[in-house]
Amino acid sequence: MNSLDIISVNIWQTVISLLNLVILFLIVKKLLFKPVKKMIAEREEKAAAVLKDAEDSKARALETEAQWDARMKSAEDDAGKIIKEAKQTADRRSEKILRGAKERADDIVRQAKADAELERARSEDEMRHEIIDLSSILTKKMLRREINEDDHKELIDDFIQEISDIS
Amino acid sequence: MSKAGIRFRITDIFLLFMTILPLAAGIILKILFVPASDGIKITGAHIFFKIALPLGGLPITEAQVNSWLVMAEVLFFCLFMTHGIRAKVYTKRQVLAEWAVEKVEGLVTENMGEYFRGFAPFIASILVLSALSSLMSLAGLFPPTSDLNIVAGWAILVFFLITFYKMKCGPLNYIKSFGEPVPFLAPLNIISEVATPISMAFRHYGNILSGTVISVLLASALGGLTSLLLGWLPGQLGEFPFLRVGLPAVLSIYFDVFSGCLQAFIFAMLTMLYIGGAFDYEKYLERRKQKQARSS
Repeated sequence: MNSLDIISVNIWQTVISLLNLVILFLIVKKLLFKPVKKMIAEREEKAAAVLKDAEDSKARALETEAQWDARMKSAEDDAGKIIKEAKQTADRRSEKILRGAKERADDIVRQAKADAELERARSEDEMRHEIIDLSSILTKKMLRREINEDDHKELIDDFIQEISDIS
Repeated sequence: MSKAGIRFRITDIFLLFMTILPLAAGIILKILFVPASDGIKITGAHIFFKIALPLGGLPITEAQVNSWLVMAEVLFFCLFMTHGIRAKVYTKRQVLAEWAVEKVEGLVTENMGEYFRGFAPFIASILVLSALSSLMSLAGLFPPTSDLNIVAGWAILVFFLITFYKMKCGPLNYIKSFGEPVPFLAPLNIISEVATPISMAFRHYGNILSGTVISVLLASALGGLTSLLLGWLPGQLGEFPFLRVGLPAVLSIYFDVFSGCLQAFIFAMLTMLYIGGAFDYEKYLERRKQKQARSS
């Protein structure tokens, strides 16, 4: 009487055991599965939010990078253009300066040449006059007589002309 | 440590204490009320008292009390595991709780299909109740699973669930399914239907009980062998059962720990397979569509 037989069937015990399992199911469901699943869902939500944030940031960063790239490229282009333009102007100006200098040098040389020519002509002329004078004096002295000065001069001129033609 | 932290720690300790308390209570109850067995005797659960009810009355036995103790343990352990659970912090117990939940859900969806995801707590409670009940014998308590009534209750619940899910595809279909493949096999089909819970209950109960029986037989055999071999030793030494030291413990690892956990797993597995097999999801969808078409 104090203990059950080794195989004993009792409806009430069976029913209680059945209810026990149902109660334990509710306990496990409400106290273990529900909070754990809620926590997992929460964490997943958080992770998704973080991931989305990261993706947004990345997209924004990429956009900024593209912008900067474009800006850099345009700046480089601008710099190239500016340099090119400056070079062109400098070239043009230096050419102009060089050309001006050359012209001036040429002018100077030409002037100098003309001056020298003029000087030479004048000195030649002078020399001729002196020779004429000299020769007229000499002839006067040689001939001791006065000849027509004008005839004389003409004569000597002819003579000198001949000489210069020959030389 | 802040005030909230201290309160948290105190609650933790209280919950852990309440988890262990039922076990201690079971041991104390056993010491106080259950007479020590004199030698080799195999009996069922000890009856504490009896409540007068029709159909044989309700005896409150060790098996009943121990299974309630298991439930209390599980209740407080669940509370402990989920105490202070938050999405941000990672504590060991939280990882453990998550692991357990996900493992059981994976097992359920793998064996029963996605439709039965809600069955995970049920399977988990079967696993934990059966395993802990069997493991009670490690503490020297009567394992509730070696009482047929306890396991039969679970098996009958499973049988109800099987029938419910078979009915879900239409009660008429359910009745018709007994006449397949040929109508005159109907008695056999009915027998096999009824045999399911019975076989489940007896499988579990028999395995756990047989472990106890073999342990008792072995202990008595080893006692006899000791007195035969070492009986010539003088005085107390001759009466001491030396061979009982050690060897039964090794067998206990198989019969109590391994067999207990294995039977829990088998019971849960069979539950999943039977309930999953009872329900034809495609047929169910078809039937629902027909119903909707008829009502609209």
